[in-house]
Amino acid sequence: MLAELINPYYLQVASFILINIILGVSIYITLSTGQLSLANAGFMGIGAYTSALLTLNFDLPIIVGIFAGTLLAGLFGILIGIPTLRLQGVYLAIVTLGFGEVIRVIFVNWESMTKGAVGLSGIPHMGREILNTLRGFGFDPKILGLQNNQFVFLAIFLILLVATISIITFFRRQNRSRVGRAFAAIKLDEKAAESMGINITYYKVLAFAQGALVAGFAGTLFAHVLAYISPADFAYHRAVEILIFAVFGGSEVIWGPVFGALFLTAMPEVLRFISEYRYMIYGLIIIIMMAVRPQGLIDVNILNWVKLKTSRRGQKHGTSSQKSM
Amino acid sequence: MLIEQLINGITLGSIYAIVALGFTLVFGVLGIINMAHGEIFMFGAFIGVVVTSTFKGPLWLAFLAAILVTAAMGYMLERFALRPLRNKQGVSHLAPLISTIGVSILLENLSHHIFGPGNHPFRASFAEISFQIGSITVYLVQIVIFVISVLLMYALSFWLGKTKAGKALRATAENLETASLLGVDVKRTITMTVIIASAMGGIAGILVGMAFNSVTPQMGLSIGLKGLAIIILGGMGNVKGAMAGGLILGLAETFVVVYGDSGYKDAIAFVAIIVILLIRPQGLFGQKISA
Repeated sequence: MLAELINPYYLQVASFILINIILGVSIYITLSTGQLSLANAGFMGIGAYTSALLTLNFDLPIIVGIFAGTLLAGLFGILIGIPTLRLQGVYLAIVTLGFGEVIRVIFVNWESMTKGAVGLSGIPHMGREILNTLRGFGFDPKILGLQNNQFVFLAIFLILLVATISIITFFRRQNRSRVGRAFAAIKLDEKAAESMGINITYYKVLAFAQGALVAGFAGTLFAHVLAYISPADFAYHRAVEILIFAVFGGSEVIWGPVFGALFLTAMPEVLRFISEYRYMIYGLIIIIMMAVRPQGLIDVNILNWVKLKTSRRGQKHGTSSQKSM
Repeated sequence: MLIEQLINGITLGSIYAIVALGFTLVFGVLGIINMAHGEIFMFGAFIGVVVTSTFKGPLWLAFLAAILVTAAMGYMLERFALRPLRNKQGVSHLAPLISTIGVSILLENLSHHIFGPGNHPFRASFAEISFQIGSITVYLVQIVIFVISVLLMYALSFWLGKTKAGKALRATAENLETASLLGVDVKRTITMTVIIASAMGGIAGILVGMAFNSVTPQMGLSIGLKGLAIIILGGMGNVKGAMAGGLILGLAETFVVVYGDSGYKDAIAFVAIIVILLIRPQGLFGQKISA
């Protein structure tokens, strides 16, 4: 029963959707302080390459690689963030774009380490490593009635799902905290926020570093799910792709980029003929969204409307009217 | 050897300067970074390839066709991606930047579909002609590129400085509202600026095609990003700064290839902008703006 439902291909697509959701969250965090960072593709690359190289060259467990890659990306976020956050608006966007390009050029040219434009292959695969470890304890996927590769992709999917939900939960909670309110204040008016006693440099660097950390984390997952990475994976197109999750879905609430990533990753898979024109459609979406609905599809009004609808329905059926408050 | 490299650097730099001028005009007037400029430039180069290789047309026809097509693209860019965002309440100042990123990604993939992904050679009939001055070899192509660039820069400076339309443009750049109060047709000036900037991009596209003898859909991105780096280097919206910045970057890249690691050539521009923005954010030739 379970075995028939689980299709490795769908699980793989779902895993990429989850990774893209994490990337969408990473750009949302910096945008929530009103800054556009296009460096997240670069941070993703740092995370991916760090983790891949550590696990390939030193036979470290994947989990150590993921931690190291994530932390290094976050560290770079702080290092880049402190000087560049003196810049505002378009200047910041360009510098972060430039940073991403520098990272890419380094990946291409540091051939002794990164194998250049060819990329790294044979990176330990997260699902297979889990399967091997469990086998060591005498576990066999057949107990669950699953094929080996079904189990592998299911394991990856579940791990990513847990990671994604934890990240979203964390940032939803952060939004309602002192930090989140500081971010919102800075986004609305930097000078006013500063005069209210908010340390804007600290919070801006914090947002930038959090974005880098999350993007780096997504990068490490990307490396161990795909088992192959190359510098082209983290170039300008990736930066634009991450940006469009937030532009399309919306950057006012965390559900915006989550929806954007979900919809835009699933769309080319569902509508096969579209995938060839994917980036052209992305371009059109960006232009149209900016002209028609610059805040993105999902904003605070939509969320309130959805909440209202669901609570009304709850009242009509006489259930959960208290829960929806 | 040194002088030859110097000539190479100046040739490259004068092309970069033309690309950067397109950016700087639009930024000066609209305060917008036009991320699609590189792709419009790439389309100009492809029009040149189509005219000279496919239809075996002469070079001047290629220039004319490229100018017409890129000017039309500039108009469409202004009409559909920039104008809807202007004077709209509650639009973030990042919106035009994001919108032009959309145009850039659309155009790049459009050219993938129209022209194909590969490398297209650009055959100028005089590509092989060279002169021998002492021990130095100078190619005719280099001279043509240099002369066209200088003419273009001179014409632009003249137009900006001496003509009524140029004055209107500078007034609009200084202050949009005041210019409009003083009777400048701001809307027309803006449209004209974007069109002229795009047409210059088209000319630069053909020059690059001639210089490197290759045209690809990806070149828009790499040259476009360098153009961005140059206007930051020279000071945003500063015409003379863009020219000087272009020359500096062209020379720097040429000498890195000769004396350093050619692989890192493309990173110079970005390292330069990161350093410049941190040390001298107004650019090498920019005025310090008091806060």
